[in-house]
Amino acid sequence: MTTAAASLAMPLPRPRRRLRLSVVGWTGLALLAALTATAILAPALSPYNPEETVADPFLSPSRAHPLGTNDVGQDIASELIYGARISLTVGFLAAALAIGIGTMVGIAAGYLGGWIDTLLMRAVDLVLVIPFLPLMILLAAYLGPSFWNIIIVIGILVWARPSRVIRAQVLSVKALDYVEAALALGSSARRIMFRHILPAVLPLALAQFILAASSAILIEAALSFLGLGDPTAKSWGSVLYYAQVRNAFLSGAWLWWVVPPGLLITATTLAFAFTGYSLEEVLNPTVRGRRDAAALRPAR
Amino acid sequence: MWRFVAGKGAQYLFVLALTVALNFVLPRMMPGSPMVFLAGEEVGFLTPEQRGQLDALYGLDQPRWKQFLTYGANLARGQLGYSFQRGRPIAEMIGERLPWTLLLVGLGLVLATTIGITLGALAAWRRGSAADLGPLCVAMVFESVPSFWLGMILIAIFAARLGWLPIFGAGTPGVSLHGWAALVDRARHLVLPLSTLILITTPGVFLIMRYSMLSVLGERFIATARAKGVTEAAVLRRHAVRNALLPVATVFMLNLGFIVGGATVIETVFSYPGIGRLLYEAVLNRDYPVIQGTFLVITVSVMATNLLCDLLYPLIDPRVRAA
Amino acid sequence: MRTAGAFLAALTLILIVTLPLSGQPPTLRMAITRDEGSLNPYTYQTGYPGWNLMTLVYEPMFTPDLDNIPQPWLARRYTVSPDGKTWTFTLHQNLRWHDGRPMTADDVKFTYEYVRRLAHPRWTPQVRSIESIETSGPTTLTIRLSAASSGFAAQPLADLPILPKHIWESVTEPRRFNDVIGSGPYRVAEIKDGQFYRLTAVDNYFAGRPKVRELVVPIIRDATVGFTALKAGEIDTTIVPLSPELVAEFEKTGGLKVTRGAGYASTLLQFNLEHPILKDVRLRQAIANAINTRLMVRLLLLGYGVVGSPGYIHPDSPFYNPAVTFTASKSRAVQLLNEAGYVDRDRDGIRDAPDGTALRFTLLTLAGNPIRIRTADLIRTWLRDVGIDIRVVAQEDASIISSVWPDFDVCKGRRFDMAVFGWSAPVMNRTTVLRDLFHSDCRQGTINIGGYRNSDVDRLGAELATAVSPDKQKQILFEMQKVIAAEVPVHTLYYQDGIYAYRADKHAGWVYQKGQGIVNKRSFVDPPKP
Repeated sequence: MTTAAASLAMPLPRPRRRLRLSVVGWTGLALLAALTATAILAPALSPYNPEETVADPFLSPSRAHPLGTNDVGQDIASELIYGARISLTVGFLAAALAIGIGTMVGIAAGYLGGWIDTLLMRAVDLVLVIPFLPLMILLAAYLGPSFWNIIIVIGILVWARPSRVIRAQVLSVKALDYVEAALALGSSARRIMFRHILPAVLPLALAQFILAASSAILIEAALSFLGLGDPTAKSWGSVLYYAQVRNAFLSGAWLWWVVPPGLLITATTLAFAFTGYSLEEVLNPTVRGRRDAAALRPAR
Repeated sequence: MWRFVAGKGAQYLFVLALTVALNFVLPRMMPGSPMVFLAGEEVGFLTPEQRGQLDALYGLDQPRWKQFLTYGANLARGQLGYSFQRGRPIAEMIGERLPWTLLLVGLGLVLATTIGITLGALAAWRRGSAADLGPLCVAMVFESVPSFWLGMILIAIFAARLGWLPIFGAGTPGVSLHGWAALVDRARHLVLPLSTLILITTPGVFLIMRYSMLSVLGERFIATARAKGVTEAAVLRRHAVRNALLPVATVFMLNLGFIVGGATVIETVFSYPGIGRLLYEAVLNRDYPVIQGTFLVITVSVMATNLLCDLLYPLIDPRVRAA
Repeated sequence: MRTAGAFLAALTLILIVTLPLSGQPPTLRMAITRDEGSLNPYTYQTGYPGWNLMTLVYEPMFTPDLDNIPQPWLARRYTVSPDGKTWTFTLHQNLRWHDGRPMTADDVKFTYEYVRRLAHPRWTPQVRSIESIETSGPTTLTIRLSAASSGFAAQPLADLPILPKHIWESVTEPRRFNDVIGSGPYRVAEIKDGQFYRLTAVDNYFAGRPKVRELVVPIIRDATVGFTALKAGEIDTTIVPLSPELVAEFEKTGGLKVTRGAGYASTLLQFNLEHPILKDVRLRQAIANAINTRLMVRLLLLGYGVVGSPGYIHPDSPFYNPAVTFTASKSRAVQLLNEAGYVDRDRDGIRDAPDGTALRFTLLTLAGNPIRIRTADLIRTWLRDVGIDIRVVAQEDASIISSVWPDFDVCKGRRFDMAVFGWSAPVMNRTTVLRDLFHSDCRQGTINIGGYRNSDVDRLGAELATAVSPDKQKQILFEMQKVIAAEVPVHTLYYQDGIYAYRADKHAGWVYQKGQGIVNKRSFVDPPKP
């Protein structure tokens, strides 16, 4: 936020710029690192195996079970620790798919122009125009509740907005001296796209990736909560699903069964958002009155 | 100008056609026939002839392309068909549910935008102070909160525990209220879903407004205005805000497009009888005609507002008009 | 800005002032979870509670009593010929439709012939065996069957509601017809699509005044929201059985009463008997032994349930054979597996069949049902302990049906390994239940979704269908249960108890119909005197 005004006055970025993240950005990154570490070190950190029935069901928190037990006697704290794995994995993979598609589309449309550009951007319009969540529900219901299907569903809907942003960036990069030089030297379109354009937009793509991941995590949570996710995968969203269908709200169990997973989802999304916003600010200075930049994240 | 309109119009028509086709194909790609929800497990007792009779009744025995033609022809006539499950005309069902969604989300967007713009402008103006950092942190947090979770927490606290507000629905069921009593009843049922929606939507508006204001404030014409001796308040009002509103207006209009579909999760959590929930239930019930009809209505309204947005934007932003 | 602020302030003030709940309506509010159409016989949706609600408005000739035995209701008297093929009825004198017209034997004749012509998945098969119907006078009716049928009293007599001839005789598209004139103790006063139904008592109902003046039935799709509303007093009861984890909480809550009874809905492990490996009865017996159903009832149902009977029939049913028992034993499972030659040949932790195929199976389960999912998970864990690898796949209703019971037609085959499946309560009440479940002819074993074949069961099943005396029926069913228990074509896991909570001050006349719950006709109106 603090660098926004400063960066506005500067010329368009060249590749290999030094990143200067704000405090917020570093906070986000630190939080992300902590969560990732939790996910990786889950077996060591978790007191029990979350798939095993270790006690009576519906127990309140105690020393043995700091967050109590769920409806089949599994330790909730362990579920949440392992849940980081699923949620982060889904977030990362879905975002990767989305940004993979989005970047390719953005580069192709921006660089090649002409009818390819028109066609691709109309495809983007189509995807953006179709109502997001209803289509998500439809697809998830059609493809069936499974881990990979959720990733695919999120991926094929989240790519559209980033592709617009990437395309805009490509348009500016296209006009740069060294690109024109490469063209004059006779490099093919594909070579230019891969060796010059792609590296130039990578930092922005990275920022978009992180923002996409934050959306992906929220969407996965919503789908799991609605019962459209993989019920045997222990993501935070599915913990909430069981909490809700086993009436945690009526028995006071919501305090330890509903609040913690929600806080974890929020924290993770926040971490991604902090990091992503900061990165984008630093890398994407052309935000004055532009419609595309205004729509930074897909609607929920 | 008119070429622009015609061009945009043609694009949207193409998108509409594609959507109609998609609308038709997608529900049919889902495994399982709607029979389970038409007849339950008792269907197992029917003879093939009788089952054929049911199929014919619903047009399920026709080849796909024929079903599609029938569908298209009906659409052209404005006929959305009948629900498999209810036997009621879908247009009627949508007609009953749409106003509720419009009420909830319309009110939510208006309030969220108002609050967001105000706080965003203030935050940018007083950058670095408490008026800025406080709302900023809160906004980022609420933008990351899952909407359904927030809704359930609100229910748990305000409805289940404290008993101040009703838990579900748009109105107390089974009672026919009139006039003032009806208004109050509706209002009480709106409070929680509306609050959830506002808490979720405002942060986005706030952040964009703030961001946009910051960019505008850094521009030369603001410094010029100040140098000319214009008062701070006037600078804020006349120059900064008006320019900063452009992207916000865009976002508002874009979000307007999601008015009908976007609140699905909230409608489900609060059992609010809106169109988003109608779609969700229809998907679970494999009620093809309702899925198609609802999806179409949602998509058409999104496209209509997008078109509106495209048409109005040049009027707001003079720079684009010239292009 | 200022006007907006003023508006907000005013709104808040209004809300605070009207905070105390608006006055309680003097009606019974009973929530359901799904839309039930226009509540007439061709548009209602679910077997439970749809049929139960609909039959408050449209009535069948008989009504099951609290032990599920069909008793005459619209019929005052009836006789059955010794060969079981001729049934003669005398209706009550003062039956009326809600529009005032009298109900006569002509309406009954019309109805039975109508559903034969215009297909309905539930009614049409029930009248298949009717050869002819004659009326003689406004209250006398004779039905002749082509063959004696053991379940005739239950279906259609106690199942098929009577339609008014003067309204339905010209209807050719019954599914789009939304008329609600019936003869029952309640009439439909208002339907708000997707929101609620309002039923009001018919004051001059022939059997006496209904116990509740007005019934409001809101649709609360979410069970949790329903329970929250019940706890908070916004509704008086819900048709959803109370979840086990809420029983303690609700029993403590003032004003609420919790009643409990046997539940006839079953949850079972369904095998595909055509699967090359699952064909082996010893393997199925081993799998059954590895599953600790007692622990399942304790863990998943918190004790509010009954362990599944090896012969499928619920212990509370009059047809239950107490001599047929089963106790799961993990050591026995291991022993059976070893004896049958299922050992881990390639040292990967999974047992292999004699021909080398690994014991890996897919277990389907219903996605929307958390208890079913947890059931599948437990089965997976326990079978892994004895060296069988299970992959749980949760699918929704329609997808499971397309794999397990395509188009609801057993004749169409099946494509699955194992599934956690279940049947609703009314199935247990069918006299022909074990034939429907296990007869190899797909037209008789209409819910034999596993494709089971056994000549003894076929023979017994065929006898059962035409046995009219209850003693004979019992004898045959006892025999069949023995065979089923030994063969394990399905492994019945548990029956969930029916636990229902309601506000006692609103209506205390709820009665529990065995296996089904409190939403039945007798909770609202007393049976007519003959």
